[in-house]
Amino acid sequence: MVNPVLLIAVPLGLAFSLPIFGLISKRLEKYLPVIAMLFNLSLSVYLVPRVLTHPIIVYIGGWAPPFGIDLFVGPVGIFFSVIIALVGLLVSIYAMDYIKEGDTGKYHVLFLLLLTGAQGVVLTGDIFNLFVFYEILCISSYALVGYLRDRDGLESAIKYLVQGSIGTGLVLTGIAFIYGLYGTLNMADIARQINSIKPAANFITLALIITGLGVEAAIFPMNAWLPDAHSSAPSSISAILSGIAIEIGVYAIARVIFTIFGATDILSFVALVGIITLLVGEMSALKQNNIKRMLAYSSTGQIGLIVFAFAIATSYGIEAGLFQILNHSLSKALLFLAAGYMIYRTGSMEISSFEGMGKRMPLTSLGFTIGAFSLIGLPPFAGFASKFLIVKAALTKGGGLYTCLIALALVATVIEGAYFFRVVQVLYFRGSNENVTRQEAPVVALVPFFVLAVLIIAIGIYPGPVMHVLNSATSEFVHRIAYIQGVLR
Amino acid sequence: MKLAEFIISPILAFIIGIFLMGLSRRIMARIHRRYGPPLMQPVIDLVKLFSQRTVSHGPIFDIGVILSLAGTIALILFIPFGGMCPLEASGGLLVILYIMLFAPLGLALSGGEGANPNISIGISRKFILSLGYEVPFILIVLAVMTYYHTISAVDVVKAQSSFHWALFSLPLFLPGLAYILIIPAMLGIRPFDLASAPQEISSGPMAEYGGKYLALAEIEHAFSIFITIALFVDMFLGGSGNVVYFFLKVLVVFIIGLLINAVFPRFRTEQAVKFLWKWPSVMALAGLVIVLAI
Amino acid sequence: MSLEMLLVIAFGGAFLTYLLGKLSPVLRDILAVLLTLVILAIVALFYGRTGESSFMNFLGFNLSLRINTLSWLFAIAVATLGSLSTIFSLSYMKGKERLDFYYLMMLIVNASMLGIVFSGDLISFYVFWEIMSWGTFLLISYNRGPALAAGLKYIVMSIVGSTAYLLGMFSLYASYSTFNIADIASRISTASPGYLLSVLVLFSITFGIKNALVPLHTWLPDAHSEAPSPFSAVLSGILIKMGTYGFVISMYVLVGIKALSHLGHGILSFHFMLAILAAVTILVPTFIALMQDDAKRVLAWSSIAQVGYIILGIAIGTSLGFAGGMFHFLNHASFKALLFMAIGAVEYRTGTRDLNSLGGIIKKMPFTFMMTLIGALGLIGFPLTNGFVSKWLIYKTLILGKDPFLAFVALFGTWGTILYAYKILHNIFMGQLPEEYKGVEEAPFSMKFPMVILSIIIILFGILPGIPLKVINVIGVSLGFKSLAVNIWGIASDTGALNTINIFSAILVSWIVVWLIFKAAPTSLRVEQDNNYAAGSYVPTGRYLYTANFYAPVYRIIKPYVIDVVDIFYMALAGAVRTLCDWTRRMYTGELGSYVMYIMLFLAVLITMRLGFNIW
Repeated sequence: MVNPVLLIAVPLGLAFSLPIFGLISKRLEKYLPVIAMLFNLSLSVYLVPRVLTHPIIVYIGGWAPPFGIDLFVGPVGIFFSVIIALVGLLVSIYAMDYIKEGDTGKYHVLFLLLLTGAQGVVLTGDIFNLFVFYEILCISSYALVGYLRDRDGLESAIKYLVQGSIGTGLVLTGIAFIYGLYGTLNMADIARQINSIKPAANFITLALIITGLGVEAAIFPMNAWLPDAHSSAPSSISAILSGIAIEIGVYAIARVIFTIFGATDILSFVALVGIITLLVGEMSALKQNNIKRMLAYSSTGQIGLIVFAFAIATSYGIEAGLFQILNHSLSKALLFLAAGYMIYRTGSMEISSFEGMGKRMPLTSLGFTIGAFSLIGLPPFAGFASKFLIVKAALTKGGGLYTCLIALALVATVIEGAYFFRVVQVLYFRGSNENVTRQEAPVVALVPFFVLAVLIIAIGIYPGPVMHVLNSATSEFVHRIAYIQGVLR
Repeated sequence: MKLAEFIISPILAFIIGIFLMGLSRRIMARIHRRYGPPLMQPVIDLVKLFSQRTVSHGPIFDIGVILSLAGTIALILFIPFGGMCPLEASGGLLVILYIMLFAPLGLALSGGEGANPNISIGISRKFILSLGYEVPFILIVLAVMTYYHTISAVDVVKAQSSFHWALFSLPLFLPGLAYILIIPAMLGIRPFDLASAPQEISSGPMAEYGGKYLALAEIEHAFSIFITIALFVDMFLGGSGNVVYFFLKVLVVFIIGLLINAVFPRFRTEQAVKFLWKWPSVMALAGLVIVLAI
Repeated sequence: MSLEMLLVIAFGGAFLTYLLGKLSPVLRDILAVLLTLVILAIVALFYGRTGESSFMNFLGFNLSLRINTLSWLFAIAVATLGSLSTIFSLSYMKGKERLDFYYLMMLIVNASMLGIVFSGDLISFYVFWEIMSWGTFLLISYNRGPALAAGLKYIVMSIVGSTAYLLGMFSLYASYSTFNIADIASRISTASPGYLLSVLVLFSITFGIKNALVPLHTWLPDAHSEAPSPFSAVLSGILIKMGTYGFVISMYVLVGIKALSHLGHGILSFHFMLAILAAVTILVPTFIALMQDDAKRVLAWSSIAQVGYIILGIAIGTSLGFAGGMFHFLNHASFKALLFMAIGAVEYRTGTRDLNSLGGIIKKMPFTFMMTLIGALGLIGFPLTNGFVSKWLIYKTLILGKDPFLAFVALFGTWGTILYAYKILHNIFMGQLPEEYKGVEEAPFSMKFPMVILSIIIILFGILPGIPLKVINVIGVSLGFKSLAVNIWGIASDTGALNTINIFSAILVSWIVVWLIFKAAPTSLRVEQDNNYAAGSYVPTGRYLYTANFYAPVYRIIKPYVIDVVDIFYMALAGAVRTLCDWTRRMYTGELGSYVMYIMLFLAVLITMRLGFNIW
């Protein structure tokens, strides 16, 4: 039996030893993230069938909770861990060629730390531990946003830093409240003691934590840092930030609301916030001429959709939310990666400068198109399955509120369709195709495009295997008592 | 017997039509205080035209004019006429509405092969005019069909047997009047002769016709006169089981129509359309509403 | 051969064609044509088959394919037009860019339409529907330039439609826990009228958009005129009829004729409202078509109007009306495809489709003229063409059903149709040939062939309408309509029968008689156009005959009344949404202070709501 701790330990260890490898050969550095993520991916996939039968709980140092820190490798954790490892692997392959400027060693260290943080957040069973991993994730992303050291990058990194710090400060305050109230930091143990958010103390704790996590999860109105940060980071980092980091924030919120507090009372409010996030994000994206800002706004919109799906809180809803996380990770990663090379070739982020890309970079354009179609929710791509599940969840939940909200969500997809299809037209049909020579992205970049595109289509047509994992993951969220009993035995 | 009708009714229609043409020239002349040509003048014209040499601009030039006349002759077979209706169960009034299209379309296609600007103007006017009179005409036909709850012309005639004439029934009185108003437009005679105005656009679509082309067009016109009036007789005056009686009804309607309209000057195209869409249409519409209300 | 295999062949063949195109363009063309012909043959062999089979499991739901006479009728139309337009593409598209992509999309759209009509459940219907939508979007955009705006308009409206569909589909699921059409249909009879109505309205939005039912039509004129002509033929001929199929499915298969008749009374009933919309769809677009100067735009508006007839027939819900609507769908597919192809051929040879600059092409392209003529006659509904029969059925049911006003609109629309159909004929083919088109040649064989097939269909179904009507009657009976007394020559009935053979013989005999008279007279001399215009003297050089602005007096009368207000409204709405979106974006000021304020506000709101209003 392989210890799941390795999922965190290996990338962390490689991250810190990377400078040493760098001493041996500069060229070695860029392979280390690939190796780390390949390891994580294989380990996660290897663990999937075991975890599905019953969750693996690792007691760090052998102390059983509530006294020690535990890793809870349940279906949710392994699901996220597979996504993190997969997207991380593909992005690190992409970055082998893409990241050439600057201090590449630092880039790779920070990149690995970011992913380590993400892994830690989804696997840990201890709320303070979660906070710590969260900080690792955040701090490395602040640094990575400013990686290019241009004015825009630094400005947005600082803005991101300030807002992120406020967020983490709130979370920390919340955790301090919890510790003060219940004297424990183990999530299962806290959950055991909290049965209601009726007491004001409980509620304020919850409010502090979800506001704080909401900053990182980019929930309206705390998402103002996102368009700046995602658009000025290097594209590979944008892909990670959009494809993983914000989803981790949503995971943390879901964990807090469902597992720790069992706060089903506020879910209709959360659903409303989700839909507002969605609408504001999509509406802001509509008139963008900067491709990366457009994608960034679209990310906030998608987060809103995910939050909405979770807030439906039936098993259909959570399943749909998880599926949408998967879809968004794959699609948005693909979009950012493809856009990255297009920007690299044209030297401009203006959408209008991508005219004739269909001929100049046909495979990159194809990748972008598939990502866009999937995000809009067109069959036979993965986005369709998630849109399908979300609408199904909302309408089977019943009630006027959810019906209205899902109608609004679908209105948002119309807006989303409008701007994505416009870009697709620019890629293939706008301007003249003459005097355009083929300048395809390098092979190392095409590999992630290919893998992501194939996954998007495959999952879109055969969502069955994924649903198998999602079913168990859903029940982990839904059956709070089972989680508590599982950990505390 | 049935087979004979196929031959008799077009021939009779032709004779009546030609007679009416001649008659109309006489009556018009009298109204204008002229002596006028003899009654047989159209026949004389036809004989003359058929013997003349002609020019043609191409196959459609020929086909169009043949189509125009063939369609009109075929149309006769669908119209109840003095107890005869060779093709009664073949689509009824709706088919009649459509077969009436053959004539203008054929002439238009035929003329189109020539390049005379007057032809284009004439065709355009003809189609616009038809758009004009079709509005009241469709409403009239619909009122009749709705009232008698059938689309068969023969059934319409049957329903009016023993002097239950539609013209003198409350609901169909106004449509009947409207029909009389649009007869000249349907026939393209004064004041609606804008499509083939000889003084203005050299007879429009027929500008390049001579000899047999003109003759066929004239015959077509003769048939049209008969058909238009016969349709009125069938729909509003109860038709007739007797050819002579039917002919008398046609004659009376024709003369009344002629007298009413002989004194008007020619409309401009827009005026014509506006007129047709106003009075006859309103009357026909009122009739239709009354039919529905009853 | 199973349905799954057919779809696998259709989709797989499309991708194979694409890949083969990288190897050799000639082989690609051959494969594309072969593929569509094979599909046509297979679909033809499916005739009379019924059955349903599930082909895959999607998210726990069985997706199934189903065939019956209704879907077969649509499928055979799809397959026929698919193969004909592919053959037409061979020379029309020759030398254009990105042909592999073009053929791929043509074949995918074709395959997805087959998927739609063979879908046995709402999910697979939706999946194929969406594939068709984005495939169409890419093909519409193919021509660049103004086509881009058209494509965007199309896809945005299309997404609105699919949104409505999703809501409708899932509210059915929420009530019946199944997506299978037959299952829902068998259980729906107990549903409340209000519920049925809401579902039907949602579906009507979806199908109305695809079918270009006023007021949901605004994408069509741009899309049809900007798409490549062979695809316009598919688009107008069959793609928009998927909306018709959707209407039939949702009204008569899902809800069923019995429950449908309980949705409201008299004028305020669902099908009467739909019929009124259909009547508006006939009336206004017909006259907008009349005012267009671009041949393809005329045809595009005409498509909207003709679709109005189809929906009118189907909506009125009598067996005659249903038969008329279904038949008109087939007919419109044939003559509108023919017209788009003929205009495409003219454009291919002359490089323009502007009605004001063409003229006299009949001397150079007599064959194409004949085809256009037949198409135009079908469009008008001239006797002896198929359009006549279907319109006759619709008129008759309206008149006998005491809906003379609807009948009036339908008939009046036909007279408008005559005007614009003749305008196309005259302005392109008649009159004087401009100098620059003196060297124009007749269309190549690969264009002639599909046109001939379509014109044969038009005439054949016009003279022997019983062939398709028998099939349609089977469909009608299976949906619960009264059986019609269909004969090979038309329909027998005691309130006025139709006999196309009689009409045909009458016209044929009269024709022969007149022709004999014509021949008996002295033979005429064939002369040039300018010969007797100038009476043998000097003829002005250059062009002395223009047929621009053909119906100027009518334009002056109708111009103030036939404005596409709906489009203006939608465009204003889109503009307002864009402005609103821009305003929303300004929330992100770029100022750190306000961002921090947002975070704090959110927290404050949460806590205030708890402490102040105690809602949790």
